[in-house]
Amino acid sequence: MSEMIIGAAKPRIDGPAKLTGQARYSSDNNLTGMAHAYGVFSTIAHGKIINIDTSLAKQSLGVIDIFHHDNFPDLYHTPSMMEQENKVEEIRLPFEDNHIYYAGQFVALVVADTFENARAAAYKVRVDYQAYSAIANLEQGLEHGDLQMQEKTQHSRGNPEQAYQTAKHTIDATYRTPVETHNPMEMHATVAAWQGDHLTMYDTTQGVVNARNVYAKVFGLSPDQVTVLTPFLGSGFGGKLWPWPNAIAAAGAARAVGQSVKLVVPRQEMFTTTGHRPETRQRLRLATNEDGKLVSVRHDSISTTSVINKTGSYVELCGGMTKALYSCQNLSVTHGITYVNRGTPTSMRAPGAASGLFALESAMDEMANTLGMDPLEFRLLNYANQDESQDLPWSSNHIRDAYAQAAEQFGWAKRNAKVGSMHDGNEIIGWGMDSCNWEAIQYGCDARVAFREDGTVFASCGTQDIGTGTYTIVAQVLSDLTGLPLDKIEVQLGDSSYPSGPISGGSWATATTLPAIAKAGRKAIETLKKYAILSGGSFPKAKTEDLIYEHGQLSDKKGKTVHFMEVLKARRLASAEGEAHTNGAHTDKFSFRSFGAHFVEVRWDPGISRLRVSRVVSAIDAGRAMNKLTSRNQIEGSIVMGIGMALFEQTEYDPRDGRPVNNNFAEYLVPVHADQPEIDVILLDYPDYNFNEFGARGLGEIGITGIAAAIANAVFHATGKRIRELPITLDKLMDIVA
Amino acid sequence: MRHFSYSRAESIDQAVATFSENQHASFLAGGTNLLDMVKLDLIRPELIIDVNRLNLNQIEVLEDQRLKIGAMVTNSILANHACIKDKYTVLSEALLSGASTQLRNKATTGGNVMQRVRCPYFRDNTSMCNKRDPGSGCSAIDGFNRSVHAVLGTSDQCIASHPSDMCVAMAAIGASVTVTGPSGDRDINFLDFHLLPGETPWKEFALKEDELITHITLDAPIEGARSTYLKLRDRSSYQFALASSAAIVALNGNTIQEVRLALGGVGTKPWRAWEAEKMLQGQPANIENFEKAARIAMQEAKAYKHNAFKIPLAQQAIVRTLLNLTAN
Amino acid sequence: MADKHGTIPHSNLHGDKAHHKVSQNSASSATDTQQTASLDPPHSAANIPDGQYSIQFTINRTPCNLNVTPNMILLDVLRHQLDLTGTKKGCDHGQCGACTIHVNGQPINSCLSLAIAHDGDEITTIEGLEQNGKLHPLQQAFLEHDAYQCGYCTSGQMMMALSVINDADIAEDDAAVREAMSGNICRCGAYKNILSAIQSARKEMKQA
Repeated sequence: MSEMIIGAAKPRIDGPAKLTGQARYSSDNNLTGMAHAYGVFSTIAHGKIINIDTSLAKQSLGVIDIFHHDNFPDLYHTPSMMEQENKVEEIRLPFEDNHIYYAGQFVALVVADTFENARAAAYKVRVDYQAYSAIANLEQGLEHGDLQMQEKTQHSRGNPEQAYQTAKHTIDATYRTPVETHNPMEMHATVAAWQGDHLTMYDTTQGVVNARNVYAKVFGLSPDQVTVLTPFLGSGFGGKLWPWPNAIAAAGAARAVGQSVKLVVPRQEMFTTTGHRPETRQRLRLATNEDGKLVSVRHDSISTTSVINKTGSYVELCGGMTKALYSCQNLSVTHGITYVNRGTPTSMRAPGAASGLFALESAMDEMANTLGMDPLEFRLLNYANQDESQDLPWSSNHIRDAYAQAAEQFGWAKRNAKVGSMHDGNEIIGWGMDSCNWEAIQYGCDARVAFREDGTVFASCGTQDIGTGTYTIVAQVLSDLTGLPLDKIEVQLGDSSYPSGPISGGSWATATTLPAIAKAGRKAIETLKKYAILSGGSFPKAKTEDLIYEHGQLSDKKGKTVHFMEVLKARRLASAEGEAHTNGAHTDKFSFRSFGAHFVEVRWDPGISRLRVSRVVSAIDAGRAMNKLTSRNQIEGSIVMGIGMALFEQTEYDPRDGRPVNNNFAEYLVPVHADQPEIDVILLDYPDYNFNEFGARGLGEIGITGIAAAIANAVFHATGKRIRELPITLDKLMDIVA
Repeated sequence: MRHFSYSRAESIDQAVATFSENQHASFLAGGTNLLDMVKLDLIRPELIIDVNRLNLNQIEVLEDQRLKIGAMVTNSILANHACIKDKYTVLSEALLSGASTQLRNKATTGGNVMQRVRCPYFRDNTSMCNKRDPGSGCSAIDGFNRSVHAVLGTSDQCIASHPSDMCVAMAAIGASVTVTGPSGDRDINFLDFHLLPGETPWKEFALKEDELITHITLDAPIEGARSTYLKLRDRSSYQFALASSAAIVALNGNTIQEVRLALGGVGTKPWRAWEAEKMLQGQPANIENFEKAARIAMQEAKAYKHNAFKIPLAQQAIVRTLLNLTAN
Repeated sequence: MADKHGTIPHSNLHGDKAHHKVSQNSASSATDTQQTASLDPPHSAANIPDGQYSIQFTINRTPCNLNVTPNMILLDVLRHQLDLTGTKKGCDHGQCGACTIHVNGQPINSCLSLAIAHDGDEITTIEGLEQNGKLHPLQQAFLEHDAYQCGYCTSGQMMMALSVINDADIAEDDAAVREAMSGNICRCGAYKNILSAIQSARKEMKQA
């Protein structure tokens, strides 16, 4: 059975709940006596509130109270420390003062008896502002004179400047990526309920434990006094890693009005007050010798961050992958930030890597063209035998196999290298490829597993399933361990009162959670054995070491076999539990990274300026795939999001006043069904046992890394146009005579 | 949404009477645009008059071969109607390129004609906008104006592009809009129905405020003509047009006997390309003539900071639709 | 329709405090959804609070009476008053399709519909798809093809997909299905599996 279940393409165990509408997402909770809140959001990007007039709104039907900076309860800041698991991006509390740092900032909150009445009254709140000039974008930030270099994140080896000067071939190009927004389909939502001094938050979070700790800090409570529940999350992509002002506003209002409160962030404000991937400007300088071996790599990036949070500012680490993806003795990466009047940026799927690899992998393609070398050959030539940034061996690196398998499947050998040379009817076909890369991380984790008298095994962990399939792979691990079928295993996640589990981010939930689950499962078996040898138990004369657990049964050397249900019943016990803690991976012996390769076909119809991605083949080396069905889905979805990044997505801010212009789903374009290309994902499935006992490195980010550059490279192959600024919209490919 | 009252009209007369008795009333048809705007607080009706149950959902061929379409016929029904697919292909294709399947199930013929612009500065309810707040100025002219802003028919007061696809096809086909009001019924030439912004961008329709569209009558189909609609946009579906072309062509041998050409996404109203049509009339159907017609169609175009690409893009749409229609 | 004379009367409700009584009454129906979730018997006209209207529709084959104010959106009424939370709000402006339900057999965006305008209609939501505890063939296909990740857009995807399969005007090829489904955004990007689930369910449903 064990060979069958780990990695098997099992349908999700939470599937039926999701498919019948029975899964309760946060905003699906309707509590008795619950009030509804609706926000009022700043219409300026910088300035201060000089007056809030709520008189008309207060007379509106059903209004219970209206909160703003003059009357919102005083709360505490969270220290916002990752290691204490109480992190937020926007440390400032909602309604803390009358300052406006970005458009879309909460300026008031109406609480009313119904959603309709709350919204109607919110429209009647009148806010007068004194507007100051806003820093609307990265260039304005730099003009403003703000550039903070992030020394701690820099990396340098050899002498890249000197090597560049004396090299045979060089590339010096600047790439730009715009603000992107996560926009999970589920908007941020909270139902906050107080019972005395206990706060229960039905919350939209990728980290119930971190969120619990944040709310405890903010409301001055012990963590035991807060429960955060996210049994289902309408995804997050990083946007729901850390709590945002909406959740604190809801909880503060609920306590003040003495009723539970539901607050959902409107879609428009999902672009403003719940994080985004920041704008970047990246300069890439590459140099090679005559043969095409890299002799110098410099990756200097600047990203935007918010003026609201000048301490602990978010930094987009664009050079993180560049440090080690290819072999080069002379290399440096730097990161700078500049402050703008936007909400706080945060991690968005493959933070740093998605933006950074667009630049690096575009530059690699430019260099291959300069050399007249096939871009795949160029990458193979510069393969890194080890992580040169840390001087450590790779725990497991099969990128060359990824190149080979994907190239074969794609038919790369048939590529005519000449730009614009491949045609199909009205369309020019372009083929491009590149590498993907993401770090693999494993943190400490607690988990609990129990054999129960009803014949089921129960597992609980304070992590959550954000759509990645965590419920299912936990069940698969336990099915493997206990020899019981999946329908005898119940998994509960998304509750901060369970043993402390990881946030679902950075692709580390799988690698972090599963070893703890397995260890707890093994402990539960040991507990079962201890109960079995108690007097009156199933094996009163045996020693635990004489008992063997297999397929739900304990047996002794004499061949006596008893099912665990009977073992428990013999002593009238409800359950046999095991609770375990596992530590994070040791990072001193190996460098842990995931790898892969994308091969992309685009079709460009120059007669009507239509660009479409028509085919993607990706081979992914992310260790063991714990469930082929959900793993493949993760990568396919990443590719779709990557197509959005490459071709469509860009939050526009008016350069005159810093206000977002396209903050809705009609104007901020994400891929739709009709944009779906043919996608083939190859999961290499080489277990990385240096990393953890399951050999799984996690799959959430790796697929989106590199995809934008692979598309840009294919676009170049079709059109001869090198687009260094995302998104690659049709106007950038047209020859426009002004 | 603020609070409002609701009245369901049982007859056209009652709908019109109720409207004229109330100062801030709105007719509710499919609601896909009206309720969107009420939610944005862009319009604040005190009374919503639901006209969904008026008997305005017939499609009938008149004796003179014109096609009469009830104002409450949904976009889906219209697009898939056998006569539309067969005789007015351009309209069927235009409808099916608009919005989404669900939205087309609600959106009505009358409502589609009354669709408001997508300019973000209009819709944000905050920026200066002469449509929303006459005399306040136009934020789009010097602002972000790539996708939903026009290059034809603009003024220094407003540059928002007309959003409908259906209307572009109707502009090519030719139609009349029948409206009813306190002073009775009247017909408005479809091409006069939508107004250029000029100095009065807040006036968008030739319809009087208290009038209700009852039906639209399409001109008789052109004998022996073929027609098509091509919509160009960033993503493959579910986006307003960056540029679109509605074309109807009847050939005699390889000579263009009849041609109708209208453009979407680039005009402040559904844009009929009269001069291009004139140039093509009686000419051989070949790419040189199509390119020439496309240049003529856009010769009056005025580009703004981010939308200069729409001029060549619309030209490409014209050329491709004409090529598609005249290919054997 | 509660008013036997056929016409829903005017209200003069403009949301001012003069109608505070209305707010208290409306609160009782909107805030205690656990009670109103059971489909109450028809209200007598005398029980309708000021400013509200009694409407009736059939939801998932069950007749349902409830009181609404004119500005209540069908989606919000389903989610709050009826506690039918399987239908999701993704944008509230007809730009994502998460709220797709069937009204009289047609898929529509419930976020752009006034509840009051649906008096007398037949409504089906995701909760009405499963019958006798057995997954609908479409639900089964979504399960087997892993046609979702987070599951939030899934109700809307399935309601739309069911119509696409049954709509004679929509061709059966992949490109036509993709186009017809394009009003349902899946940010997780499970489009490939959604398509294969639809095409697989189509076969199952034909055989059934």
